[in-house]
Amino acid sequence: MTKLTYFPGCSAHGTSEEFDSTLKLVMKSFDVQMEEIPDWNCCGATSAHVMTENLAMALPMRNLVLAERLKNKTMGIACASCYSRMKTTKAEIDANPELAQKINSTIVEEGEYHGDVDVKSMLQFFYEDIGLETIQSKVTYPLKGLKVACYYGCLLTRPAAITRFDSPEYPMSMDRIMAALGATPTEFDFKTECCGASFSISDTEIVLSLSGNILEMAQESGAHAIVVACPLCQSNLDMRQPDIDKLAGKKYNTPVLYLTQLMALAFGSPVKDLKPSKHIISIEPALAHIGEEIEIPQKKAKPKKAVAAESEVN
Amino acid sequence: MIKLGQQIENKFLEAVNNKSGNNVLDCYQCGKCVGTCPVSDFMDYPPREIMQMIKLGLKDETYMANSMWFCLTCAACSGRCPREINIPYVMESIRHLAIEENEYSDSGKVKQIMKFHEIFIDMVKRYGRNYELRMMAEFNIRTRNLFKDMHLAPKALLKGKIPLGVKKVKSTKAIQRMFKMAEKLEKTQ
Repeated sequence: MTKLTYFPGCSAHGTSEEFDSTLKLVMKSFDVQMEEIPDWNCCGATSAHVMTENLAMALPMRNLVLAERLKNKTMGIACASCYSRMKTTKAEIDANPELAQKINSTIVEEGEYHGDVDVKSMLQFFYEDIGLETIQSKVTYPLKGLKVACYYGCLLTRPAAITRFDSPEYPMSMDRIMAALGATPTEFDFKTECCGASFSISDTEIVLSLSGNILEMAQESGAHAIVVACPLCQSNLDMRQPDIDKLAGKKYNTPVLYLTQLMALAFGSPVKDLKPSKHIISIEPALAHIGEEIEIPQKKAKPKKAVAAESEVN
Repeated sequence: MIKLGQQIENKFLEAVNNKSGNNVLDCYQCGKCVGTCPVSDFMDYPPREIMQMIKLGLKDETYMANSMWFCLTCAACSGRCPREINIPYVMESIRHLAIEENEYSDSGKVKQIMKFHEIFIDMVKRYGRNYELRMMAEFNIRTRNLFKDMHLAPKALLKGKIPLGVKKVKSTKAIQRMFKMAEKLEKTQ
């Protein structure tokens, strides 16, 4: 049995409870034991680093110190924003021992930081540590017929120098996981566009505009649902969707699922275990597509001019 | 008159470079950041112009801009910057400098954004974690906009999307001590 240190993040007890519960189901299928960091604290999110320098690093560093006590090689983080704060702080203090000492001086009771725990997002853990083959081997209910737009958001792959995972422009890890479950990932150009993040509360207009673009592009790609791995992306695209509908003058009816919800479903969990009642946009109509035959669209032949131009470049 | 090769003192540029660990002079104004930025439409000066303002030492104008408050730190710009400047870090530095020197825009939007962050940090100080419902309520009270998002409340609360309570950390005292010490560090910089 593999052990994984688990950092759930504040929203796991709140807006993204269904991410947390399905993550636990999925890890059970993989025989991974998750050990939650005892008495973890908020990473400080956007607010701490917008307003402060030292606190923004102290908050994640306390969690890194507590994680070391569990003696596991890797810490898996559910929320993309927590992951980014933790990974960024780790990169900065590991590169600068003087800074590490300074910030460590604010963490009195928890002890010293050594820097020997690896930080990964859950998406990265599935892709690198579990692997597509194992994921595929657990599927008992293939999601054939379900077309999904995989939405990564900003922080799972950016900044590339910090995350060192997948492509910052057009990542494919989640698409490949979805394909391993039997679903069909669509060609979706807005994979790494920003949803508007914490402006959800402080300047909602921005979120309605940015998340609206993402919904529009997902619909255009032919997806029945959007798949995410970030609680804030999920709540912006799901909870704000009725308001986005009003602005757009149409109904998108695009449910937003966590990748772990679809993994749990494909591994044999009943739909009720995905906690469908938590969704503002109902997930059942999208799931009804499972089992349908998918027509593979004929690729349009490239116009002759473009082909000629390409060969000239080559 | 400025002679060729003459060094012009630009303390603001120096301060930004020191804080951000970048050299803003590297920017050659290609504008790729503006085309990439998802919120440049909401800014009074898009990132390219902010970079030029720093290069020219326009400190007050930069502090009064709303641009850095709208920056989402999404890092799309820095990924595409041909000069490999970490633009979000530059934005972060001017935010921190503006706070340190207590000189920033008093536009409603900037005030609202700052208020949100203050309330969020206050939640973490009190509970060690974010108390989502309370944060939203306090934001509405403190920005005097009591009915903001109220139309979402019935559905979100009934579905348990936003829970009523918070599971706070056990060692709130350790967290508050950390806050105090980090604040002290902030002041001695």
